[in-house]
Amino acid sequence: MSSDPWIWIGAILTLMIFSFLYRDNPFYKFGEHLFVGIANGYYIVYYWHNALKPNLFEPLSAGQFVYVVPLLLGLMYFTRFIPRISWLVRIPIGFTIGWGAGLSIPALFQADVLRQLEGTVVTPATFSDLASGIWAVIILIGVVCTLVYFFFSREQKGLLGSASRLGIIFIMIGFGASFGYTVMARVSLLIGRIQFLLGPWLGLID
Amino acid sequence: MKWYDRITMIDRRVIYLLLTVFVIIPFFIKVTIPQKIMPQTRRLFDFIESIPPNDKVVMISFDYSPQTQPECHPMAKALLKHCFARGIPIVGLSFEPEAPGLAVDALVSVVQEIDSLATNREDSLVYGIDYVYLGWKSGRIAAQLDMGEAISGVFPRDYFGNLIDSLPLMQATKNYKNVAIVIILASADYPIDWIRYPQTRYGIKVGAGLTAVMAPQYYPFVQTGQVSGLMSGMKGAAEYEKLVLDHGYARTLGSAETGMNSQSMIHILIIVFIILGNVGYFFSRRQKGTHK
Repeated sequence: MSSDPWIWIGAILTLMIFSFLYRDNPFYKFGEHLFVGIANGYYIVYYWHNALKPNLFEPLSAGQFVYVVPLLLGLMYFTRFIPRISWLVRIPIGFTIGWGAGLSIPALFQADVLRQLEGTVVTPATFSDLASGIWAVIILIGVVCTLVYFFFSREQKGLLGSASRLGIIFIMIGFGASFGYTVMARVSLLIGRIQFLLGPWLGLID
Repeated sequence: MKWYDRITMIDRRVIYLLLTVFVIIPFFIKVTIPQKIMPQTRRLFDFIESIPPNDKVVMISFDYSPQTQPECHPMAKALLKHCFARGIPIVGLSFEPEAPGLAVDALVSVVQEIDSLATNREDSLVYGIDYVYLGWKSGRIAAQLDMGEAISGVFPRDYFGNLIDSLPLMQATKNYKNVAIVIILASADYPIDWIRYPQTRYGIKVGAGLTAVMAPQYYPFVQTGQVSGLMSGMKGAAEYEKLVLDHGYARTLGSAETGMNSQSMIHILIIVFIILGNVGYFFSRRQKGTHK
């Protein structure tokens, strides 16, 4: 069993959080509130020392007065709390939206639309390997049928209805895979905690 | 109460207890459930294999938090072992505020393990020559784009306060032209920014090691080649550990491989519960239909 007090603190807090699985209790509440408080404190101190201080206040104190512009833009967000001048908040929001949209629209179109379309196109070269050719056709059918499912401009009957129903099957397979992965992820976190309790704390495993 | 009603109303605490028992059993009783290596994990491994030693660096963006340590930390360690064993220098960085401590832990533990086996100076790893950790930076999209021009413009100093230009590895690594691939180990949606911005603008290769929750949304990017390889959750980490071991780059397996035995046991248990739930639901519905 560990003699490190930090390991003990970690283990006791882990057990406090796990106690919620039985039912809500004061130990769980203590662990939860402690976590929220520490996480907030960590982020405030971290952003102060690693973002605000080096990127804004140090250049300002070194006489780089151009940094007054981002400082003012940042402060304008707080005008939301003063109704008389709350309209000023539109300036930093407009700046952020303008910058964000200008930067992301072409990049998003290129990476998420054009390259993905390119990946869906089936060419004779795709069939150089039979297995990948079959998968490419399945992907093509899946993409088209899923898109048809979200096409609401015409009543979904006949060919459109059949394609739409096939689209639902592809969507459900996608949801099933995502659910399976989510279970795996959550179980991984449990395994990690059990490894910690059995290993560093109790010393029962390496 | 009928048997089929009973199996649909198992107390959740019994299920939690069984889950815990099934997680613990494989740690004490040797249960080996074979793991098939998925193609996307092999693609990442093969990509690292194709990088010539002491040429370009592998940039690892450590972007996971302590909550997802069981999934992403073994990935980091296996990847570092692979790169170091092949003589590929590493440049680490982070955009997740909670990640720097974990990144340093992964680097230090792997470096110590390799150094403890080194018989001469050439076999050991030297900070600033074989690896560098740049630390955390805010404003990740701007930072990722600016690194395409000059890494030293974004990170003038490393995590430990050293001037970047004073480190031999960074003198040779000016921008993405000197980077073979960026591998993002993440518990949040960080890789998409690397794909949308630096890859679109500079054509940099992107690989990823993600928590299992996030993995499915990146499979389309693997299919199009925008992501050169992907480790998915603890299973991906275990697969990479196995590949590294099988190729003689490590002497032992890591924690993910051990965890995967528990993972498989739990999945069997969950499948049993799903079947029981459905059987109970089916019989109780049929019974209600008969009474009508």
